[in-house]
Amino acid sequence: MRDLLNLGALHRRIVLPAVLCLVVVACQGDTAGTTTTAGAETPDTTAAPATTEPDTTETTAPPATEAEDGDGEVRFLMAENFWADWVPYSSTALSQKRLERQIYDYLVDFPSGDLSQPEPSLATSWEQIDDTTWEFTIRDDVVFHDGQPMTAADVKASVELASGFSGESAYALTWAPAEVEIVDDYTVRIITEEPFAPMLAELWWTPIVSAQWLEGDEGDLATTPNGTGPFRLVEDSVNVKTMEPNPDYWQEPATIDTLVWEFIQDPQTRLDALLSGDAHAIDRVPPEHLEILEAEGGIELVGVTGIESVNLFVAPGRLPIWDENPDFRRAVNLSFDRGPLVENLVMGASAPAGSFLPTNTLFYQEQEPPFAADPEGAMAALEAAGVPDGGPPFEIWVAEGFLPRAVPVVEAMVAQMQGIGLNPTVVTSDVAGLIDDAFSETGTGAMYHLSWATAGDPNQAASVYSSAFAWYFGDEELDAMIAEGRTTLDPAEREQVYADLQAHMWEQAWHVPLYNSDFTLAHVSELEGILVQPHVFRTDFYPASLSD
Amino acid sequence: MRGRVLLIRLGQMVLVVLAVVTIAFFVLRLATGDPARLVNPPGTPEEIITQTRERIGTDKPVAIQYVDYLWNAAQGDLGTSFRGAQSVANAVFGALPNTLSLAGITIVISATLAVALGALAAWRPGSILDRGVLVWVALAQATPAFWLAVLLVLIFSLNLRWFPAIDMAGWRSFVLPVTTLVVTLSPILIRTSRQSFIETLREDYIKAARARGLPSWRVFAVHGVKAASLPLVTLIGLQLGFLLAGAVVVEAIFNWPGIGKLILDSLASRDFPMIQGGILVAAVVFVVLNFVVDMLYAVLDPRVGAARA
Repeated sequence: MRDLLNLGALHRRIVLPAVLCLVVVACQGDTAGTTTTAGAETPDTTAAPATTEPDTTETTAPPATEAEDGDGEVRFLMAENFWADWVPYSSTALSQKRLERQIYDYLVDFPSGDLSQPEPSLATSWEQIDDTTWEFTIRDDVVFHDGQPMTAADVKASVELASGFSGESAYALTWAPAEVEIVDDYTVRIITEEPFAPMLAELWWTPIVSAQWLEGDEGDLATTPNGTGPFRLVEDSVNVKTMEPNPDYWQEPATIDTLVWEFIQDPQTRLDALLSGDAHAIDRVPPEHLEILEAEGGIELVGVTGIESVNLFVAPGRLPIWDENPDFRRAVNLSFDRGPLVENLVMGASAPAGSFLPTNTLFYQEQEPPFAADPEGAMAALEAAGVPDGGPPFEIWVAEGFLPRAVPVVEAMVAQMQGIGLNPTVVTSDVAGLIDDAFSETGTGAMYHLSWATAGDPNQAASVYSSAFAWYFGDEELDAMIAEGRTTLDPAEREQVYADLQAHMWEQAWHVPLYNSDFTLAHVSELEGILVQPHVFRTDFYPASLSD
Repeated sequence: MRGRVLLIRLGQMVLVVLAVVTIAFFVLRLATGDPARLVNPPGTPEEIITQTRERIGTDKPVAIQYVDYLWNAAQGDLGTSFRGAQSVANAVFGALPNTLSLAGITIVISATLAVALGALAAWRPGSILDRGVLVWVALAQATPAFWLAVLLVLIFSLNLRWFPAIDMAGWRSFVLPVTTLVVTLSPILIRTSRQSFIETLREDYIKAARARGLPSWRVFAVHGVKAASLPLVTLIGLQLGFLLAGAVVVEAIFNWPGIGKLILDSLASRDFPMIQGGILVAAVVFVVLNFVVDMLYAVLDPRVGAARA
């Protein structure tokens, strides 16, 4: 009975709206270096931080061979909606990227998470021939799920499309248009117009798809991914993606017989499913469930600080004093305390923002002094801004069911802001309404509680503040630095570019940095070998296994 | 004559469904939230957003989208989901039996419970039994479904391990969601049933039957139950709407793959075709079941049938 009561107390909070992580990402990574042969030498990148159902549609993938002595089914409950279809490179939805990693392979990998340590994957070796040309040798023993062998033509079609060279691509936001020359069936040269420093890191998240498939029926592209990865999609419904091992995988086939990724909105339902044995793993464990899971035997928790900046993103033009007056921006940034928000509300492995680039980003530098609650300093900044009364009223929008504990976090911030005389109000919405308000001409909000997840390369993290995105305040110096970081190959020089960029952003504070997200995944102890990295919340089930 | 009545009724049903679909279509478009923005990073340049809109078809004028939708729906094509290009018809018709089975079992148990407890309470109004039933009704009415669902999972799934916590798999998976729904639905049915029995038992023909020497149980079971079930049937018809698309909370908590959950999951991503498809099918089922209920009403009370004819 005591157990029952304890559990009852722990289940008091029920949060029906989902934790939906729409934060979308284009992927990235670092590189530079000159000549590199995977597995032998590494790029001379420096200062890389060691980082820690019923509506089922059967796909046309070839039938899987039954794995002998397989591990059975593994069911992973996602907190994020499956936003997108399977058309390659058509969206940068985070959930889709995570899912694609089970089905596709990539030219290179960074299994340690350290962006200075690339490892071979589909490419066995590579070399930077000159500032704008990279040569890759690819494996000759890889076949797609439909049985077609992978050749240089597939790499050409994939990279040219993803980079925006040969067609429309959402990935092009962070790629540079890249032409691919086929040297022979298993050798390609990737050529960019300008030097492109994040080449390897970008390839880390660019799935290699079949050229023949790309030319095929558009409907098939949307519904039937054809990769070379360890799993292949066998059933596809709006909320459930069922995969089976690829029997022809170029490495040892996966031992999990069936891998199910399922979207379940309610965190309480995900928790119940894990505790009752109906699921093997759940992600985005909310802070209020950590204690329950820690007390539970047979459950492992994996928590990392996500490479995800949570900011109050400010919409240019909505609050003129923000656009024009650095003192006002400083006043807002000094008006509240990030530490207690993180410690008491966001919790888990989250961390207060120390830079506009997320923690664990290559070339991350903690900025000094950090923004901390300084009511007197904030009021002095308001005085200097010419608005000792706190200035005009403005709206801060926050989405329920988007980032964990978002509403209380914003309410706590707003209370502190009001304490120094600022005049914000909180507007609560769902994520679709928030996004709509932020970008429609009739939007009324000034600030939006949103996040930006990346794969660890600073170019990706910084690009959201560039002129390519709608969060740009016309800071040409910043835009130039972002471009320079993308084209600077020498690691030491590149590090300096990002050091300057981070200092500049901290000083200008065009947006309000808050914290880096917690990413905590829980799984049954029998499930071993899941690869969890903060880079775009990577969660790979190969080569995981399920013991008896 | 009867044929004409049926035809008129059929026309009314079509109009109701059309009205529901039309309202749903335009309310969704008027609500904030652009699905094209949700698959791209916040702040993505407008040209990328425009490409996404073209791909999913939301770039066309709303009136054209509406006409296209009706035309396609009339031919059985409910479109494809924005979220993964799956057929909406497959998803909705896949979810429908799950919702219907949950709703059907809930209705049968709730109605049985309502008749039994309503009759027991009405047998001696004001008795301890009656008061007990009324206390139960008040308690059940005051119990939020989401709270009860979690409590049941906690006790019977996590602690005692008797029933699964989530999913629809086998008869045991029905126990907790059905219990939750029965507790939510039955109070109003029990209260209505009790009142109806009390009123029926005061009718002259009941008194006359008793005066003729018929055993009380026979008067009650034959005449009373039939008359007292009439308002219950009407109420059940109305509650079907709640069960078809309104039992969202229960479907969400138990991860029940029904229409309510399908619509809820689709709302967050503004998956218009899926939401519309769910609402359309729920509306059709609702009007058809209400029609059946009306027919049943006419069978139970021939005066109704005669009046309509």
